[in-house]
Amino acid sequence: MSIEAKRIIVIAALVVIGFVLGRLAVRAFMNMLLGGMLFGGNFL
Amino acid sequence: MSKREKKVKAVPIWLGILVFILAVIVGAASKVFIKPAWAKQYAIQWSDEIGTRKTDLDYGEGAANKFDLYLPKDNTHASYGLVVYLHAGGFTSGDKAGDKEMLSWLCSKGYVAAGINYTLRTDVNSASVLSQSNEIKAAIPIVIEEAEKAGYHIDKLTMAGGSAGHCLAMIYTYRDGAQAPVPVVLTFGAVGPSCFYQEDWGIYGLDQNDEACAGMFSVMAGVEITAQEIQDKTYLEKVKPIAAAEWVSSNPVPSVVAYGTCDKVQPYLGSLRLKAALEENNVDFQYFELPHSGHGLQNDDTVNRQWMEAIETYLERYMPVR
Repeated sequence: MSIEAKRIIVIAALVVIGFVLGRLAVRAFMNMLLGGMLFGGNFL
Repeated sequence: MSKREKKVKAVPIWLGILVFILAVIVGAASKVFIKPAWAKQYAIQWSDEIGTRKTDLDYGEGAANKFDLYLPKDNTHASYGLVVYLHAGGFTSGDKAGDKEMLSWLCSKGYVAAGINYTLRTDVNSASVLSQSNEIKAAIPIVIEEAEKAGYHIDKLTMAGGSAGHCLAMIYTYRDGAQAPVPVVLTFGAVGPSCFYQEDWGIYGLDQNDEACAGMFSVMAGVEITAQEIQDKTYLEKVKPIAAAEWVSSNPVPSVVAYGTCDKVQPYLGSLRLKAALEENNVDFQYFELPHSGHGLQNDDTVNRQWMEAIETYLERYMPVR
């Protein structure tokens, strides 16, 4: 695998994980204020 | 060159961290700012194409005794349904302006819509849920009169609101609705407290004792309630004027409500008592429970959507635009 391909895969993985964690962080914060479950219901 | 050196070269650590942080920020922002597509139809931006808006009309002497009236563009009907939507804010904050999109949506459907402010509880006044409910009661005839003055004859009324506003809307509907100037044909809303039982309200601060409960219920009911009254259950009579669920039998009006099972702000258990009261009184009602959500109904879009669709259905059934 070329170094460019590796770079794209790693960056894509970081983007997806970061995006998901960002959404989960907001959901966790809202749940802390209002009540709610971290998983289930809406996607993320 | 070693394997380790090759990895570092593929994605430098500083770049990885930067990309990750940016992705977290974009993810968080998407959660905050991007609403589901279906929800957009219920949040209409006001424009003169929808109708006419009259703001800050007086209904009393108090500084907060103001209301906004949204009058639909089509003024050719013989009569109109009025939807009053009361704002949220825990009885201590909020403003009718916060419901502009909801009121605009109702107006766009052909209803006369009104947002009413009420005197909020502060550290320096004695406002309570009781006094707020009485302000709303006083406001309704004046709102109707103002609509009539503008040429919109009102023949039906729907009371609605969110959270504290939902509580006040239900109190008016069930407690005062039978004496309303026009028939109250429907009530809808979400997460409004409907009754005040100590065993339901495990939310009154860190001190889970009778004194803390008496203090909170006293503030809400606008009357002195003692710890002794909490113990011997005589407080229930004192909180009855603000406990909408206790009045359903007085005016069993069709109702559409939604509650979050995990609500930390008002007790979910209380909503079950409301549901039982609606069932006992053979009310045509829809009760939506959002199993992963709290006070913001924030984690169950599918049920949230069903709730809004039910509101539309009930509005068309009980207050059709003619």
